[in-house]
Amino acid sequence: MPLLELTDVRTGYGSLPVLHGISFAVEQGELAVMLGLNGAGKSTTMMAIAGLLKTWSGSISFEDASVGRLDTAKRVQRGIVLVPEGRRVFPALSVTVNLRLGAWVRRRDRKALKERMEKVFEYFPRLAERRNQLAGTMSGGEQQMLAVGRGLMADPKLLLIDEASLGLAPKTAQELFQTVKQISKTGVTVIMVEQNAGALDVADRAFIMEKGTLIFQGAGDEELKATDLRAAYLG
Amino acid sequence: MKQFLVLGVINGAVYGLLATGLVLVYKGARVFNFAQAEFGTVAAFFAYWLIEKQHLPYWAGDLLAILGIAIVGFLVERLIVRPLFTAPRVTLLVATAGVALVLIQLQFIIVGANAVQIGPALRGIGVNILDVVVSPQRLLIFGVLVILGLGMGYFFSRTDLGLAVLATSQEPVATELAGIGTRRMSSFIWTFAAVLGGIAGVLLAPTGALFPGFMTITDLLPAFTAAVVGGITSLPGAFLGGLLIGITQGLGEFYFGSSTIVRGAANLLVFAVLVLVLLVRPKGLIGREA
Repeated sequence: MPLLELTDVRTGYGSLPVLHGISFAVEQGELAVMLGLNGAGKSTTMMAIAGLLKTWSGSISFEDASVGRLDTAKRVQRGIVLVPEGRRVFPALSVTVNLRLGAWVRRRDRKALKERMEKVFEYFPRLAERRNQLAGTMSGGEQQMLAVGRGLMADPKLLLIDEASLGLAPKTAQELFQTVKQISKTGVTVIMVEQNAGALDVADRAFIMEKGTLIFQGAGDEELKATDLRAAYLG
Repeated sequence: MKQFLVLGVINGAVYGLLATGLVLVYKGARVFNFAQAEFGTVAAFFAYWLIEKQHLPYWAGDLLAILGIAIVGFLVERLIVRPLFTAPRVTLLVATAGVALVLIQLQFIIVGANAVQIGPALRGIGVNILDVVVSPQRLLIFGVLVILGLGMGYFFSRTDLGLAVLATSQEPVATELAGIGTRRMSSFIWTFAAVLGGIAGVLLAPTGALFPGFMTITDLLPAFTAAVVGGITSLPGAFLGGLLIGITQGLGEFYFGSSTIVRGAANLLVFAVLVLVLLVRPKGLIGREA
């Protein structure tokens, strides 16, 4: 039974269709990478899963229950958390407060919150060093770490990360991919949307999108290696 | 002069309270709320009706008046602000002016144009501060405002809800994605702003005559100036701005109050401060979001 399953999902902005019937599934514990050029519909897919964008038709099921009609807050409670494109940290609040607010839906359990924050600091020691710094004064890479860390604070079952490597130096991007791999090994299912094909190095499953449709999906080392994904992605 | 200074600080604290409400709504909805001072006037009339007409004890009348204005603030958000959630901000701006006008008209219809008065909550001989005799009512106002200021400082820096309000104003999309829910926050922000206006209203009510729209006429502009001077997005800045404007007004009254050549010189001085701050430090005294 897949953790997340999209069936023939169509949506768009206003009357402009962007997704033309997307179907795919992701298994529990997998790290999936979704590649595609600008405008392919990757972020739109993430927004539809997170509930920021209503679907026009089709279904989204999570843990075998339909979530397509739930608002974003309810989906976060179920364990679907999106780390948005462009980081969107709270610029005038400290690192610690940013993380604390990420745990909003689980804020009652203070002990667990503290433990998760320590875990985030383990993944990203730089954040621990800067815990009292205002998020808006940090570098792009540090803000991206904070955005992922804030997502983890909600204790997600499914973590959606939209274009984490955008604007980062290649080395920083690779380090981030490795950390995401570590996170996925703890049992958190991850979908990473990327334009950087380097993310394929850590992927268990890959999707390639073009013009609002999926043009490739495959899983497992052999299948991913057998297909020249980089060539397919770059057309 | 000391007398004008002490009174200036007390008036300034009231402006600061209204300005804090203005800043809160500005942060949450990116709009200047023309109805902010009317939240105060309506609460003052509620208090008048409960205390003078229904003979409730002072504290009960004031508490119920604040509760009443909280409901008004909640309804304004639900019925007017929320349907305009995605509308251009200028539309919402005009809508808040509409709310103020409707509230003033309702006061004319229900209470009439004649001024009414509430007796002071505390009677007795004034207290001597810096050789100035301050009435117990004004001391009460100041005491409540100081406690409220400290309470708000704690609320917005330590509590989950207070921090969530700040987060909503900085990054609405991320707030939504954290499961906080910007619409629920909007309800809270407008209700809270109405309560702040209401507290200013019930505190000011016994110090002068109540007539329809009195706080919009006398307090909205100084409060707006205080908010801008403080940096428009800074809550502590708004409170400090209020104190500064109150003191400026007090000094204006002292030096030019009796002048028949320049009438309203104290208010003129307030605007001079506004222009000066905008020229020298356009970001306001505390030029960062807080």
